[in-house]
Amino acid sequence: MKNKIEISGLEVHYEGKPALNRVSFDVHENEILGIIGPAQSGKTTLLKVINRTLEFVPEASMEGTVKLDGVDISTIGDVYGLRRRIGMVLPLPVGLPLSIYDNVAFAPRAAGLRAKSQLDELVERCLQQAALWDEVKDRLNTLGTKLSGGQQQRLTIARALSHAPEVLCLDEFSIAIDPVTTMRIEEVLKTLKKEMTILLVTNLVQQAKRLADRTAFFLNGDLVEIDTTDVIFSDTPTQQATYDYVNGTFG
Amino acid sequence: MNAMMTRALRKQERVSQCITFIILGSVGIPIWNVLQKTYAADTEAASAATPLNTLSPPLDNLYTVLSISFVAILFGIACAFYLQEWLPQTNWVRRFIESIVAILGGVPSIFYGILATGIFFSYAGTLKTIGVVRAPQGPGDGAALESLSFPHDTPVFYIVVLTFILMVMPLTIKTTQAALRSVATPIREAAYALGASHWQVLKTQVIPIALTQILAAGCRAMSSALATVALIFGIYVWQYTDAPGEMSNRFVLFLSSALLFSIFSSILIKLCTSASADPAHPTR
Ligand SMILES: Nc1ncnc2c1ncn2[C@@H]1O[C@H](COP(=O)(O)OP(=O)(O)OP(=O)(O)O)[C@@H](O)[C@H]1O
Ligand SMILES: [Mg+2]
Repeated sequence: MKNKIEISGLEVHYEGKPALNRVSFDVHENEILGIIGPAQSGKTTLLKVINRTLEFVPEASMEGTVKLDGVDISTIGDVYGLRRRIGMVLPLPVGLPLSIYDNVAFAPRAAGLRAKSQLDELVERCLQQAALWDEVKDRLNTLGTKLSGGQQQRLTIARALSHAPEVLCLDEFSIAIDPVTTMRIEEVLKTLKKEMTILLVTNLVQQAKRLADRTAFFLNGDLVEIDTTDVIFSDTPTQQATYDYVNGTFG
Repeated sequence: MNAMMTRALRKQERVSQCITFIILGSVGIPIWNVLQKTYAADTEAASAATPLNTLSPPLDNLYTVLSISFVAILFGIACAFYLQEWLPQTNWVRRFIESIVAILGGVPSIFYGILATGIFFSYAGTLKTIGVVRAPQGPGDGAALESLSFPHDTPVFYIVVLTFILMVMPLTIKTTQAALRSVATPIREAAYALGASHWQVLKTQVIPIALTQILAAGCRAMSSALATVALIFGIYVWQYTDAPGEMSNRFVLFLSSALLFSIFSSILIKLCTSASADPAHPTR
């Protein structure tokens, strides 16, 4: 199996305070990797390292290497191109103060796509994948920020898909979404897996169990265990902490 | 229906922003005249050649003040963008300028007015003795009226200019920086995560959101500059004239046009912000 992302010896400090300690693991191509762990365990930090937005946090310092397709991402000159290869969905939806259409068309336009027909097609496809198209198809010109919380979150998913990423990072995407729609999006993720690699950070361990091929358990910046989901959720994972966390008897 | 309303709203917003810009911009036109007057060796000939000549002295002053502060405001906005968007927070130049701005920006504009008036008077005194500005000879002496415009080719002019720059720049830098800072970090991060470059983020997100606040800051700075001029002008008038009727008429004219400008600009700002309040502050 081919490795899409290879992380070795990754260390992140915020003002000297460790947030990730010597984390090393690989992400296989076309898998869904579930990332679970209690609050403050460094999950969001890990995603920020991967799309190099940690560079905007002045107090953060980083060591170790992250390779995407075998290339060290810190050596990639076109950081904007790199970020377009990685779709990012943040826990709280951040609608850009633009219309629904422009929100989804933002990344393609930033990459230089101008043709109206292509954009139309792309916007429709992404909104459909994010299970939002039917609700907004006749008001594409309203502000994205006027949608409900759950709709905005699906808008950010559509936006993350709009630049056809190779890696899709979802950070607790279902916080604001109702269970029925969450199920629909989960189905979409299962089909998207064929085209891209998915990193799914989630606080719902059952979601990781349902979706992930492999699952990584983080605790206070340490990678406690990474294995196939079946093993992590079995009665006999390698670490006792994993068992406790997964079964809700943690702490 | 909804879509159409949004579009209409955005159009209205853009139109009102353009109007504000044009007004601010048209204020910049007399800059050329001021420069010409400043550098012309023969002031008489130069002023005869400019259209400003046809304006009454109070309007001339108003124009001078507005154009000076317009330049200072544009410069201040550019400074603020550079400090906020390009220099890291730890950069010593940025820290230095920010602390100066914090100190100067906290001084009420009346003090600048008094400072400028003081300098103006001490210079006007010496200028009077060397005959550049003629003291009024008696009641109804017309010559004193002519010297009411700032003498563009004397140090007084530069002192007044300096006062405005000292007064207007910190105010503009401070408020523009605050406007840029008010653009929520998540919005920037979301745009960056979509692969936008720094310039694209500025152009498509930061500037549209911060624009109305920046314009408002500019107008406010101009209003305070006007108030200061009114002070200098008024004291000068009352000090040097023996014909109160005519002088105070001019003063009142000047003050009322300054007031009108302030009110007009604040109405425009109100229009701008009410139209763009929603996109600027997404509810979350
Ligand atoms: N900008 C920052 N400045 C300082 N410390 C930070 C910053 N961002 C995160 N941290 C710290 O880094 C650690 C890891 O944070 P991170 O957001 O990665 O956790 P998380 O696993 O995503 O938690 P959650 O499940 O609550 O989202 C925390 O201790 C947090 O306080
Ligand atoms: Mg997090």
